[in-house]
Amino acid sequence: MDSRGFKEGAKAALPIVFGYLPVGMAFGVLARNAGLTTLEAGSMSLLVYAGASQFIAVEMISKGMVWLPIVITTFFINLRHLLMSSTLSLYFNGNRIQTLGLLSAQLTDESFAVAMSNTSKIENRPGYLFGLQITSHIAWITGSVGGALLGGLIDHESYGIPFALPALFICLLIIQIRKVHHFYIMVIAGISSLFFKWALPGNWYIILTALLASGVGIVIEKKLIPSPSTGEGEGGGEK
Amino acid sequence: MALVTFLPRFFPMAFLTRWVLPEKVKKGLEYFPISILSAIVFPILFFNGDGRMEVQPPPLLSAIPVFLFAWKVRSLWGSVILGMAIYWGLGFVL
Repeated sequence: MDSRGFKEGAKAALPIVFGYLPVGMAFGVLARNAGLTTLEAGSMSLLVYAGASQFIAVEMISKGMVWLPIVITTFFINLRHLLMSSTLSLYFNGNRIQTLGLLSAQLTDESFAVAMSNTSKIENRPGYLFGLQITSHIAWITGSVGGALLGGLIDHESYGIPFALPALFICLLIIQIRKVHHFYIMVIAGISSLFFKWALPGNWYIILTALLASGVGIVIEKKLIPSPSTGEGEGGGEK
Repeated sequence: MALVTFLPRFFPMAFLTRWVLPEKVKKGLEYFPISILSAIVFPILFFNGDGRMEVQPPPLLSAIPVFLFAWKVRSLWGSVILGMAIYWGLGFVL
């Protein structure tokens, strides 16, 4: 395996680690409050590894729900990963299925966003993506187990901790804006997301906004970059 | 939970890396990160914990400097620390 890529990826994960440790801890505390053991909380973070759905699942468990609605909710909340995985797949053409299985299992919003902030780093470099993802994953598990064990020792609402991940996302979003029309897509996506979230329950707004704004992106791009006319009269070529 | 989370993550990567996608779809996918990041960020600034729409001064006011800082400096670490510091500071003022 490409160890230099791995180390690069791990380093790139540090801002995520910074966000995951406290949020993971918050999850650990909530899980304990809901009656899960430290082992169960840790296993959830190990196997599921999906922040939003873990928090929601824990809340549903604490309200005494059966497993089926929890599983269904988890499925729909994490459905956006389908699209993220599709985007990442563009950069891993031809890789072995085991590699892809391993990489895709650790896909999260944050590691996806960091990966996409510099696609030249991930292009056909599973080592980098792996380093990025496993470092983040370990931070998440550590945070969860730590939170479950330590309970309420640190005040999670303080030290600006609740804003760590949002700040990270904001920076990752800005990094995506490389051309003028990207800025407009961001504004359109932002406003749509507010509308969809207001109008629809749950997390549907995320996927709908993503589809809508991506669609708008394709349309705008077509208008801005006229495709070169194909062929001129009878010229063509020898073939 | 683990299984239904894993499958939507795995299938696209497993299958799409083996096929060539039509140009339009590829372009759409390239806009996906911007769209989804916007969808994640903006609601944080305008919705409260119960899911009701309501301007949220602490994250909104913290977000503006972070936006500007990220625009100029483009540092992930820096943005996170700056954002946390401002948010924490605002907690004493607001």
